[in-house]
Amino acid sequence: MPGFPVQIKKMEVLGLGEIEAIREAAFDVMATTGVMVGGEEAHRLLEDAGCHVDRERSMVRFPREVVETALAVTPRSFVLKAQDESNSLEIGKDDHLYFFSSCGLHTVDLDTWEQREPTRKEFHDFVRVLDSLPNVDGIAPFIWWGFARVPQAMRLLESNAAKLRLSTKAQGEGAVLGNDTWNVEMARAVGQDLWNLVNPVAPLAIPEEESAKIIRLARADMPFSVTAGPTLGATAPATLAGGLVSNAAEHLAALVLAQVVRPGTRFISGHMAHAQNMTNGSPFFGQVTNALQAAGFNQLWDLLGVPTYNTCSTWTGSKSIDYQAGYETALAATIAAASGASLLPMQGGMTAQLAASPVKAIIDDDVAGMIGRFLQGIEVTGDTLAVDLIKQVGPMPGTYLGEAHTREWWRKEQYRPVVADHSSYEEWATSGKKVALDHAREKMDALVASHPGTRLSASQEEAVESILQEARAHYRKTGLITEEEWAVYQEDLNSDEYPYA
Amino acid sequence: MDETNQILRELRAAIQEYDAARAGALAERSLAEGIPQVDSLAAMTEAIREVGEAFGRGDLFLPDLIGAAKALEAALPVLRQAMIDEAERPETRGVVVLGTVLGDVHTIGKGMVSALLTANGFEVHDLGVNVATSDFIAAVRDRQARILAMSALLTSTAVQIGPVVKGLEEAGLRRQVLVAIGGGAVTAELAHALKVDAYHATAPGGVDLIVSMLEDKAEAGLA
Ligand code: B12
Repeated sequence: MPGFPVQIKKMEVLGLGEIEAIREAAFDVMATTGVMVGGEEAHRLLEDAGCHVDRERSMVRFPREVVETALAVTPRSFVLKAQDESNSLEIGKDDHLYFFSSCGLHTVDLDTWEQREPTRKEFHDFVRVLDSLPNVDGIAPFIWWGFARVPQAMRLLESNAAKLRLSTKAQGEGAVLGNDTWNVEMARAVGQDLWNLVNPVAPLAIPEEESAKIIRLARADMPFSVTAGPTLGATAPATLAGGLVSNAAEHLAALVLAQVVRPGTRFISGHMAHAQNMTNGSPFFGQVTNALQAAGFNQLWDLLGVPTYNTCSTWTGSKSIDYQAGYETALAATIAAASGASLLPMQGGMTAQLAASPVKAIIDDDVAGMIGRFLQGIEVTGDTLAVDLIKQVGPMPGTYLGEAHTREWWRKEQYRPVVADHSSYEEWATSGKKVALDHAREKMDALVASHPGTRLSASQEEAVESILQEARAHYRKTGLITEEEWAVYQEDLNSDEYPYA
Repeated sequence: MDETNQILRELRAAIQEYDAARAGALAERSLAEGIPQVDSLAAMTEAIREVGEAFGRGDLFLPDLIGAAKALEAALPVLRQAMIDEAERPETRGVVVLGTVLGDVHTIGKGMVSALLTANGFEVHDLGVNVATSDFIAAVRDRQARILAMSALLTSTAVQIGPVVKGLEEAGLRRQVLVAIGGGAVTAELAHALKVDAYHATAPGGVDLIVSMLEDKAEAGLA
């Protein structure tokens, strides 16, 4: 069973009155200012549903009843089907938390920390690692921005294909240039759902490209998340509460459109709000206020009855796998998990979303395991209170070490880290002075070597390949693959490394 | 004279205190008092330059820089309007057409470029995000732009810069306009391959580059 049940009392950073004030403020913004929504079809659908559409300015105002009607048909929980049915996730169900891997752009060299495009082989190995890690419940969109030698227009399609080929876990993929159509087809061809990404754009806008994607995905009955990615102080108010208000308006506008197209559309609201680094404008991932705000976001969307995902744990600002990377990842993940996120992308991310590392994913998997254990809480029963045993063992020199109760319970109670170093100083000093990073590098080699390989039947493989070919032909015809790109790609496709490296 | 100095001092202060309303009002007052516009402009330019330097040193932050730029933006049109009336209007540094390329919706870096160009005396027309090639070209033509600045955050759509450059050539507009690009997906190599005029990895650096390239052009008698 993937994921972790939340058995502790959820952390609340806001009181009910405060959450309601944020919700009311969002309803107010939606009804009075509205949200800019591009696309004639979206205008028509929203107007028919009772919204006021100013076509000249593309501004749509959402009366409260329209939003409430849409919320009423939005599923509080739903199944995200994986290739292997036992890996399917019930997102939003009974306070259950799932960890996904992170998304990033490039790979990092573990000695110099320089970043570069990964190769097909490195990408495949990353998938093999994620497929093997026990606490990765699903594989995220663009774990890297595809890999070298593939034309830009094909990057997220080759990325998706590689993940479907090598992992039976739940999966997601990003979308540019309308590639979601083929990605969804590929997922269907191997019998699974695909979590898609839709991006309203802060502040208060859903460009036509994104509104069209919402309509397409809702019609195709594919689940998706929305993330407007507000930068507090730039594309949203600098205050955490104000940022929650404008972000809620952006996401609720997308939710209304989705539910108008197909009531019951599987929808996730994604927190990606972040502080801004006010010295250079870059996103300040790793800032604790991102996680604090995510906790408020989780409470708000719980009240609205919609599953959530949080990205605060996904990207540390650190460029190397170091102390900063560890504390920024773990602190944010703990806060997000304890406050009720349904889905938490985490394993592997670094450099403010511009890099990811399979070795960091292995270390982060321990963080996920620890958080999962934390969420299971303290079991209080006759057996765990152990009163009889305490009386029986009595005072010193009594010991619990040889007791059956100890043999039974210590494993259940403790989380045993895989790569953290907990040897004694002497053991450590005489066995190469290894730290977690060294253990994780070794672990990576072992995981890659033991991966079972392709997950697809011959006919599924054929189906995936023919969908890729269709997409290649399309992007070539529309000029989005250049001749230079095509020539390099051909070499890749005709090499022994295709399709498996 | 004292009165004049007092107004100019206050104008500087209004910009450095990010007070757009006061900067606008003081610009009006400077006109009413008959202070030469060039003097007011000089005071304002000095004020924003000091803010820029403090930002560069790390003493001030982005909201301060943009706030001062907005205050300047409020006062500039008042002075310029007056100059049109007197037919002695010094040109703005030039008209800029700005936007994020087709297929790309990222806005933040573009917003920084826009604010900084405005603060440096350019007249900026922001076409927004996901801007079609033909819209860039039409805007350059219609606004007689001296600069076309494009932002591209996605490697998959940065290639859209190519057709814009080609379109400018075909429309016979390429020589009139300095093409500057930036954004996460853009690199110096790409800028070189696309035959654009200017690239910088940061907004402040890009704006400095544009300013100095225009000055060089002017010196060479090209502009
Ligand atoms: C915030 C963000 C978003 C927000 C944007 C909100 C908004 N209003 O802009 C949202 C959530 C909407 C978003 C959406 C998507 N995003 Co995004 N996003 C980011 C993020 C986190 C930060 C970008 C940012 O604002 N940076 C800060 C600003 C200040 O930087 P900047 O724009 O580059 O500007 C600086 C310089 O480049 C320069 N500059 C910029 N423009 C110009 C122009 C000139 C002329 C000059 C001289 C200089 C210059 O000045 C600035 C510094 O001084 C980046 C990751 C990252 N860490 O960068 C990803 C990132 C850019 N996004 C990415 C992706 C993939 C997407 C999506 C496609 C996701 C998806 N759905 O699958 C969608 C895009 C949809 C679309 N069609 O565009 C990728 C791009 C990958 C790639 N290979 O290109 C990135 C790198 C993340 C990643 N790990 O892969 N995103």
